[in-house]
Order: sequence, then C-alpha cells, then structure tokens
Amino acid sequence: MERVEELADQILSQFAGLGYEINRDEVIKRLKLLLYEFKVPESEAVRTVRNWIIKEYGIPREKVVEAPLVKIKDITKPGQWVSLKAKVVQIWDSTSPSVSQVGLIGDETGIIKFVIWAKSGKGEVEEGKCYLFKNVVTDSFQGRMQINVGRTSEIVEIDEDIQLPPREIEVIGALVAIQQNSGLIQRCEQCHRVMTKGICPIHGKVKGYDDMRVKGVLDDGENVYEIILNEGNIKDLTGIDLEKAKQIASERLDRNAVLSELKRILLGRYFKVAGVRGGRYLLVRRVEKILGVKADEVDKLLEVLA
Amino acid sequence: MNGFRRREVARRAFAYEINRSTYRFPREDEKSPAYVLTPLGVRVNRVFIVGALLDKEEIKPDSGIWRIRVSDPTSAIYGYVSRFQPDALESLMEIDVPELVAIVGKVRTFEVGARIFVSLRPEYVSPVESGVRDYWVYETAKHTIERIKAMERKEDEDVKLAWQIYNPNLDEYRAIVKQALLTLKGTIAEGEEEEEEIQEFEEEFEFEEEEWDLSDILKE
Repeated sequence: MERVEELADQILSQFAGLGYEINRDEVIKRLKLLLYEFKVPESEAVRTVRNWIIKEYGIPREKVVEAPLVKIKDITKPGQWVSLKAKVVQIWDSTSPSVSQVGLIGDETGIIKFVIWAKSGKGEVEEGKCYLFKNVVTDSFQGRMQINVGRTSEIVEIDEDIQLPPREIEVIGALVAIQQNSGLIQRCEQCHRVMTKGICPIHGKVKGYDDMRVKGVLDDGENVYEIILNEGNIKDLTGIDLEKAKQIASERLDRNAVLSELKRILLGRYFKVAGVRGGRYLLVRRVEKILGVKADEVDKLLEVLA
Repeated sequence: MNGFRRREVARRAFAYEINRSTYRFPREDEKSPAYVLTPLGVRVNRVFIVGALLDKEEIKPDSGIWRIRVSDPTSAIYGYVSRFQPDALESLMEIDVPELVAIVGKVRTFEVGARIFVSLRPEYVSPVESGVRDYWVYETAKHTIERIKAMERKEDEDVKLAWQIYNPNLDEYRAIVKQALLTLKGTIAEGEEEEEEIQEFEEEFEFEEEEWDLSDILKE
C-alpha cells in the first residue's frame, strides 16, 4: 500500500472511532497535494488534513485531539502532543503576565517544568495535587524540555497519588548565592505568588500575607543546584521563624533586614541537602548544616596521599 | 546551549594552585567567562575559597578600591574589591582583620612586564566559623587529589594542555594537599581555633600595584 493510503487510513480510523465516516478519496487527494506538490513534512500534512476534517464535519475539537499518554522520561523531543498524569511538585513565581502558572510536575519516571499560558484560560493547579494534563505540547526552552498548557489542553484533577522518582540524592555543597526575592516576602492571598512591592504579578495591588523563603544556589564544586528553603527549613537552620523575621523587620524598619540577616548566617556555609533532582533544581526534603569534618574522613584522604 | 548560560560552578582549589595558573584561554566572545588553566588541568573562572582574611587596605586614599590578602593553609592570594562588587564591598567594610572568611569570586590574571599575576575578584566576602574552613580544606583536598589522578591518566584535553604548559611536579602538589590536611588534624584533635598558616611553599610577591592600570580586573 502506498504511504499516502496508510496515512489516510490512520486518519480515517481515528475518526471512525468517534463515529464519523469521512470520504477516503478526498483525504488521499489532500494528502497527495500537500506531500507531493507542496513538499510539506508528513506530520504537518496529517495535521492539516485532520484540521480540515474537523472543520468540514463540524467535529468538536475536544473530541478529536487525544494525545497519547506518556511518562515524563519519554519526553525528549519538542513539538509533540502528549498527555500525562503528574503531581504538581512546585509552583514558581511567574515572571511574565502572559504566563498564568509555571513550575514543576513529576511522575514516577521524572520531573519536568510546566507552563500554563494565561491565554489558555485553564484553571490553576495546586502544589501536591495530581492531575491529568491532556493535550499538552512538549517544548524545549534553554536546552531543557518542558510542557506547555495551551488553549486546546485540558487539566483534570485526578484522585490518584502519583509517586515521584524514588531516587533521592544527597548533595553536600556550599550555599554560594541567595537571590534577591528571598527573606521575608509577601504572597498574594489569591494565588500565593510572591509579590514585589505589594504587587502580585497576576492580581495587581492586592492584600498579601507574610511568608519566608530562601531561593539560593548550592554548589559542590562540580555542579550547581538551585534550591528553595521554606519557613520550616529556615527555622531549623537559623532559628529565625516568621514571627522572629517580622520582629527583625519592624525593629530595623526594613523588611530587607531579614534577607541581610539570612545572608549573614547562611552564605558561604556548607549544607547537606537531601531531595529529588528536577532539571537544575533540587527539591529540598531535608537540609542540615555541616559543622565540620570528621577525623576519619581526613585520615582516609591522607592514606590516599601516603 | 544556544544563547543560554547556566550559572557557573565555583571550583575548589587551594591558593597555591590558583596562584600558579597563568595560562588564559582565549575568550569565545565578549560575554563568555574568562577561564584560566590551573597547573592540575582544570579550567577555572569562579572559585569558592575559605581562608583567613589577613589584610585589607584601600590602594589609594578615597579610590574605593580595596586590596585584600586571604590565606588558606597552602598560600596567600590577593584580591581586589571595588564598587563594581557592591555586596563584597559592603561586607568587607564591616570585617576587622584577621578574620575567617568565605569568598566566592572570579580568578583574574594581569600582566606586569613579562610576569603574569593572579588575583581574585570577590562577589561576596562572608565571615564564617572555623568548621566551614575545616570542611573547605577537606573538600578542596579531595578535589585536588582527583585532579592529580586525572593528571596521571593524561586523558583529558585540558590535562594534556596543562602538562604541555606547566609540566608540574605532582609530588609537590601531593605535599601541599597533605600539609593542608595535617592542619585539620590539629584543629580536630586539639580544638584549636586558629592554626598557624603554612608558608613553606609560598612564593612572596613584591606588589607595587599603584602604578598599574587595574581597570581590567575590576570592571565588567
């Protein structure tokens, strides 16, 4: 059978499954035109013909586009339509008004960045909950894979607990940088995003509530890991909790005083962080300060030199 | 990685090794990091160093450029801090020497006549506890030993280049690492706060940098 016929039958079978009978000759004619005449790549030709069918037969879009269910580790190429079940691991601050939400999702095979575009009009996801991400597009941004949630995508909460990759890694490194938007911060009451100068990137000038975090870089001399420490981590490491932080801020009449204080206590120190690696991020599960070095570790190195 | 640069790793190396790193890689373009090759065959731009801040002085009154001298157990290294490094300058002003500090900074080279000197351009200077220094010496020893092993294998391109340019005596570096580690044994066993710095391998620089144009190493 000719390749064109093969493609046509693939397309037809998909619509037949939905209860639509499509004119086979017409499909073949259009495919031939696109492939032989216009020299369009196969995938584009198929997409174009499918779009034509959808329009011509008045088929509701959601019904047709059903991308295959994949695991995160299989996402290696940009421009693929996929669906996946995943848990929201972390939500970051959106840096652009065109992005509604951005962060990391994970399944048992890996962790990947997701972007929900504001234009998509999709509902917001919550950290720790699991969802079916239907018809999302894979993309490559700054050399890493991510998924984009657009207008034709769908996000459905599912009642499943998806396990993240079991392999936890442990890194001992020095905290070599703390980013500016750390310390005593304000989050938007509606979306929990970090606000700058009382302004939420999405909701504008709204009421916020206080929180604490440290966004920093852990460096072990071989790799860098971006880490986020929450209030609990910070309290364990520095003894400064939210109340104490507010006290520092009001005593010095400066919220930034908390950041300076955290920098003074944390920068240049070594920490052991256990967590799951996702891209260049290390999702902190446990963190402790390294206070020194044990004599037997030094002896081991000296033996190597002997 | 078209157009996108990840944050660069801060290498761990003793001042002894950094001070002897005189080979500069040509820059790919204006924005790419300026790497130097150490005698043990690693490309270095950003480094993390923990040591004793021994001196800080403004090179000329009201110049706003401060010269610092920091020493780890192997050697001392000079650094320059100016208003182009506001974080480092701010904390430096609050530190009374001598003090144990952690420094993240870039390695810079500059020529004086036929000689090439190495200095640090700190991004921050942060007073730390002696435990941090201990761990740094241990960690840096570990990394240096790995580099010595790589030098023995002679496989890596940068390693081959290092042999060609420096032809280092690896035993000299083993001795340096050993000395550094032995200072730790002192602190751990006796709990002493400050160890005497080992100066045996240090080459003394005669610095009269007032006459030099420092703009290259300070700007950017």
